[in-house]
Formats: sequence, structure tokens, C-alpha cells
Amino acid sequence: MQLNADPAVTGLEVRPRVLLVDDDQVNLMLTAAALRERGFEVVEADSGDRALELLEQRPTDVLVLDAVMPGRDGFEVCRTLRATEGLEHLPVLMLTGLDDNESINRAFEAGASDFFAKSQQWSLLAGRLHYLLRAARTRQELERSKAKLARAQDLARMGSFDWRRQGSGTGPGSFALSPEGLRVFGLPNATLVSLRQLLRMVPGAERHGLMRILRDVMNTASVLTTDVPVTLRDGRSRIVHAEAEPEYNEHGQCVGYAGIVQDVTDRRIAEDRIRHLANFDALTGLPNRRQLIWRAERALDAARRIGHQVALLMIDVDRFKVINDTLGHAAGDDLLVEVARRLRSCVRHSDQVMEGALESIGSRSHRTLEAVGRLGGDEFVALLPEVGGEEDAERVAGRMLESMRDPIFVGGQECFVTGSVGIALFPRDGASVADLLRNSDVAMYSVKSAGRNALALYTPHLSGRGREKLELESALHKAIERNELVLHYQPKIDVRSARMVGVEALMRWQRGGTLVPPGDFIPLAEETGLIIPLSEWALREAARQAKVWSLSFGFADSVAVNLPNRLFERSDLVEHIHQAVSTYGVPHRSIQLEITETGLMRDLQNVIPSLHRLNEIGVEISIDDFGTGYSSLAYLTTLPISEVKIDRSFVRDLGITPQSSAVGTANIALARSLGLRVIAEGVENLRQMEVLHRLGCGVMQGFLFSRPIPPDDLETWLKTTVLPRRAPWIGQANALEVSENQRRLSPGAVA
Amino acid sequence: MKSHAMPATHDIDAVALDRATLDEAALARLSELDPTGATGLVGRVLKTYALSLERLVDDFSRARADGRHDVLRRVAHTLKSSSSSVGAAEFAALCVQVEAAMGVPENAESSALLDALMIESQRVARAVQARLATD
Repeated sequence: MQLNADPAVTGLEVRPRVLLVDDDQVNLMLTAAALRERGFEVVEADSGDRALELLEQRPTDVLVLDAVMPGRDGFEVCRTLRATEGLEHLPVLMLTGLDDNESINRAFEAGASDFFAKSQQWSLLAGRLHYLLRAARTRQELERSKAKLARAQDLARMGSFDWRRQGSGTGPGSFALSPEGLRVFGLPNATLVSLRQLLRMVPGAERHGLMRILRDVMNTASVLTTDVPVTLRDGRSRIVHAEAEPEYNEHGQCVGYAGIVQDVTDRRIAEDRIRHLANFDALTGLPNRRQLIWRAERALDAARRIGHQVALLMIDVDRFKVINDTLGHAAGDDLLVEVARRLRSCVRHSDQVMEGALESIGSRSHRTLEAVGRLGGDEFVALLPEVGGEEDAERVAGRMLESMRDPIFVGGQECFVTGSVGIALFPRDGASVADLLRNSDVAMYSVKSAGRNALALYTPHLSGRGREKLELESALHKAIERNELVLHYQPKIDVRSARMVGVEALMRWQRGGTLVPPGDFIPLAEETGLIIPLSEWALREAARQAKVWSLSFGFADSVAVNLPNRLFERSDLVEHIHQAVSTYGVPHRSIQLEITETGLMRDLQNVIPSLHRLNEIGVEISIDDFGTGYSSLAYLTTLPISEVKIDRSFVRDLGITPQSSAVGTANIALARSLGLRVIAEGVENLRQMEVLHRLGCGVMQGFLFSRPIPPDDLETWLKTTVLPRRAPWIGQANALEVSENQRRLSPGAVA
Repeated sequence: MKSHAMPATHDIDAVALDRATLDEAALARLSELDPTGATGLVGRVLKTYALSLERLVDDFSRARADGRHDVLRRVAHTLKSSSSSVGAAEFAALCVQVEAAMGVPENAESSALLDALMIESQRVARAVQARLATD
């Protein structure tokens, strides 16, 4: 049955569809005419059978049915359609005789909606039909909204229940659960289930708690709202949320509860998952920064209340960046997971905190806060919520360092990792979590500076080194990770041919928006040992850039990289360079190493083996700042050196003081006699160029030619300056070349 | 019951009398259902009534001969409301009496009542014909 829309609602005049049934043709005709006159759409049938046929064929809003008819009478038609799907609720108006009480009763028994005594009071009949239609429409809306509710409840895995307590005036205690409610408990439709049976689905321990809640709620006639774990008959575990309100009789007595049950298992799982994601590190499963700070704050609260000390340990994996870069990120992640597992085993780590008990006096539940967390990258923090003193913290830190010593098998090979641990204690080293984190960090960096793989307690003296320097150091530690380091390149020029014959790579630090010059961070890097990873990075980057240039403009010279002498002492330097050039597929001679004369001489014995090996694989060595140290001439003759670089201090004074020209001349002559290439750095003007050239030094670098510039700019510089032969020094160089040739050709020239 | 003894005649007076057998007010109510007369409702109703009266009176006679009180009762039931609709008020009243009498077994042999119904039916039939002939 689909009732025509209510005109009052739609604003459209819709004619209700009436099926009129009467065996009396005259009545049929008259009633039909009267109803049509009053806006109904009327279809006539002169028998019960015909009426049933028409009901099947066409939509009908209301049936007007004569009660007494030959054959299938009105009562039988009514009974039939009440048993027919879709017609159970069709409004039926039964027409009866004026005083026909028997028919009136039978009509109701047969399921008629209303009756009307046959008369010619047509307006009354029409009014009755409108009333019936409105009631039917209301009923239909109710049915629809009931169906919608059931559907919504079903989708929300929700059902309703009704419980009447015993002696509430409605007979013995009763419990009714809607079909949707039965589904929540995994029970088949139409199952008769008692409250007791449902309670038995709750596991033992929780059942007792639930019973207590139910008793409390009922005793106080308050609202019930609780989540209950249940085990369904098929063994599945679900969490059911129950919510109910008390119902009262006319005397104000609570007679029972009506409410809903809802399967909230998925929601609960999702909530738990969200909580976990928000508080735990996805890679290692350890508490994350947020969770760790939360725990540390609770631990400080407890410590203030009870009066004990708290320790915060900052743990950093040494040289993690190298492992990550060499073995790949996946291996790096595996390593972090393993380190996390080991660190965790060194403390009484609790994943769950007994939150409710934290506030209680005398409770030791703050100990459940103890944990190792991951702050990010390779930084871990251990929170020891109660320590007797620094010895306790040192003992744990010692265990942690020890635990990291065993090799870790990642990326198909064994890795040896160490860690640096900094310790700060509450209240001695800080009153807040932020202070403790910062100071444990300071202590940890002091370990890094001192050579790593150790622990250190925070002392105010560490901070005394100057905040700025500390910050710089801390930032420099992260500079490589964050790709903040860049290499700029200064070309080396052969002035005779006006050609670039190589470049020197110079490190710059792009920190925030400013470019930090090497003078501001290289000494600090030297001091802290960071120079090692920095130089290693520079070698890789230089090799990469050589490849990029070789592809873009056929670069086939070498990139000179400055190395501190301590790097030459390392046995893995050759291997490291080999790896750098192999990674980018450039020959070994693409890399040239510069070592200062002072550095070289300071530790000559230890450096010589590396120099020989490097020479063997084709990596040339250049002596930087030549002339400033006290080189042993005897050694110079035996060392595998290819080039010396005349220090800028001699170049600066060239042509100004006769002494500097003399030393310069001597240096150049010495180098040439040893068969070494000579290059002058710091060449700033044409005069210097001219003098150097005259002294026999043809290769130079300096601002006269170009400042150190970013790699892309170097290519532009070549295209716009060198190739079109536009720069002033090119003209001068040509002039020098010409005069040199003339000098050679003139009869008085000295050969 | 003023016309029970009247023979069936076709003189002017008789026609006038037969016309009077149908209640004018009732017929006026019928006309209200078709105020413009566009659908000829009154004529169609009277024609339908005449046909159904003829058929039902035949049924009635046969049922009486066969002693079928249930049929007599049903015919009386059917005739009463349509007769009332076309304004045959006296005939409708007779139908009510017969329907009631046939429902009670001890009243079944009220032949005077059944005779009266038969006679009145003829009067009503004539009145309808007369109305159809003049309208």
C-alpha cells in the first residue's frame, strides 16, 4: 500500500484512490458519483471477487466495502486482504445497515478499520474516508520510522531492551530484547532470553563487577551506562555498551528499566588503536615523546609528593647516520627496533600505567611509569621514576651501554653500535620535564664530544661552556641528517691556457636562512670530533658532484676535498673513498685530497701508510698552506705527493715586499725541482697573477677568477666567463703568454 | 400503504399517482450529485434501479415458491437501500420489514407482508417508468 501524499504536506491536490465495492448497482453508482463529486478517484466493483482482483492490479488508498453481498461478502474480503502481504494495513470502511449491530461487530472482527451506516449523507462518508486516510498515513509514517529505527539500530549494532522488576504490578519480572538486540548478543531472531542468561555471557570476573553496578543503579534508581565484555555462544568476544533509564509507575515507584545495548567492539578497538598511535612510536612500539613527557610529569608529581629523586636518561645511538646511509633505511629501522628492545630490557618497562592509582597516598604505583621511550630518530629516553641517587641512574645507563655492545645483525651483516648516555636527576638538575630533557641532552652531547660510547651525569659546568656553543654543537650534530651542509666550489685555473683544471670543494652550513662560513663551525667540528662524519659526507658529496658535472659538461678533472689529518689516521679511509667513487661511478682520480702541511707533519708516521695506499688507487694528495710549516725536505722527496699549494699569505704580499717574493720564488723552485705541481691560492688581482706567472706558477685559484660558488653557478660561470674568454684576467693571461713567447724567441733570452 | 389496492392502469391520473410514489426530495438529492445534468446521472440511476428491481423481484418470487427465506431476506436487504436512494420510501420500509421478518424463523410465514412487497414493487416499477418517460 502506497498512500497518496498528504496534500497538506505536499501542497499538491492529490485525489485519494477509492475502491468501492457493492453488489447493488444503484448504490454503487450513487456512492461513486458522490465520492467523485468530493474529489476522490473511484473504481467500482460489484462483487468481493472482483474487488480482490482490482486490489492486485492497481494501487488503492482506501477500500469502501459493502458488508452483505452474495458470494464472497465484505467480511470475507476483509479477512482475505488482512492475510495478504502489502494489504494488511489498507484502510477498509465497511458499509452496513443502519441498525445492523451484528454486521458492525463482524466487521471489526474481520479487520475493518471503521464502519459507516449506508445513507445518503455523502459528506459524512467523505469526511470519514479522509479521516481514515490520515490515520493510515500516520500509521505508515510510524511504520517507516520504526523500520528506519530498526535499520539504524541494526547498522549501529544496537538493540533495545525492556526490563520490568518483579512485583512492579505487571506480573512477574520480565525481560524483553528487540530482534536487533538479539543480534548484538549473536542470538537468533525470536530467541527467548532471560536477563540471567545474558549475564551468564559475561566472563566471571567482570560479571561480579557488573552485578555490583546493576545493584547500585537499581537501588538508587539511577541511569545505567556501562561497557560489558561478553563471550558469544560461538566463542567470539565482544564489548557491549548498555545504557538504560529507570521507568516509574503512577506512584513514582521505579518499576523497571528501558534502554539500549550496542556492540561497541570495533569502536573500542579503534579507540585503543588511536590512543596507541597517539602515545606510542609506530616503529619500536615504545612510548613516544608525548607519552614519555606525560609519564615524566606524573613521575615528578609523585616525587614532589613523596620526596624522592627521578632520573631521566638521554640515549643516542653513535654514528647511526652512517649505518643508515650505508646499509639503507630499512636496515636502520631494524637496528632501531633491536636497540629499543635491548634498552627496554634494562628497565622495569611498563606499557600500561595504573593511572587511577597514581594519586593515592602511599602507593608505589608511580613505579609503573618507568619506561624507555623513543623521542625520534636515534634518540631514546629512559624514565626512572624513583632512584636512590645518581648511582642508580648510572647503573641503569651502564647496563644500557653494555646491552648495546653485542653485535646487531641487520642488512645482512653484523653491526657494532655504541651509545652515548646523558643523565639528569630531579630535583637536582631541573625542576621540570623540559629542564631535565635539556640537561640530559647536554650531558649526552658531552659524552659525544669526549669520544662517545660512555655515560655522563649532567653538571652545571657543562652548561657553563656557553649556551650558544652548545646549541651550535647540538645543531651541527643534526646538520648532516637534515641535509643542511652544502659544498661550494672554487675553480683552479691554468692561466696560460685560460682553462679550469680542477676545483676545490669548500664546506658551507645552510643553517636556517643563513650560510654559516666554515671558520664558524669547522673548529667546533674538529673539537667535538664531528669533523669525521662531516668529512666523510664531503667525500661522498664531491664524488656525486663530479658525476653530475661529468654528465652535464664533460667534467674530467678532480675535486679537491680538505681532510683533517685525523682522518688519514683511520684505516678505513681508502675503503671509504673507494665506496664514495664507486657509488657514483666516477674514477678514483676524480677525488683529490688536501692535507695541511702542519697537519701532515704533526703525525707524519701515522699518515704515510694512508698516503701510499691512496696514491696506489689513483687519488692525488695536495699539500695545503705550503710554506707555513716546517716541512722536512727529506720527507718531501719521499712522500707520494702530487701538488703543493702556495699559502695565501705569500701570495698576498707578492710584489709588495721583496721578502715574500723571495720565499715564493724559493717555494716554487723547490716544488718544481721535486717534480710537483705548484698551485697558488688567494690570487685576488692581476698583479699577483702576473708575478706568480713570472715566477713559474701557472695554476692559481682566488677571487680574481671566482669566489667559491654553488655547483650550478660553476657551470654558469664556465659558460659565461671562461668559454667566451671574457674576463679581464683572460686578456692579461694572453698578454703574458705572448710576452713569454717573445722573451723565449729573443736572441738575448736566457734559456 | 395508500395504493395497495390500486390496479395497474395507464391513465393520466394513475401516472400522476405513480410519480408521486417516488419521493421528490430524494430525487432532488440525486440530482444534486449531477447538478448540471451533464452525466444524466438521475436517468442512469433510475434505469439501473428498474432493471435491478425487475431481476430481484423475479428472484423474490422464485424464492418464495421454493421457501428460500435466506434469499428473500437478501433480496429485501439489497432492495431496501437502493429503493430508499431513488425515493421509494414506502417500498424501502416494506423491504426493512421483510428483511427483519425473514431473519426470524417463526415470522417466516408472513405472506401478507410478502404480498404487500410484491404489489408495492409493481407500483414502484411503474413510477420509475413514468419518471423515465417524462424526464
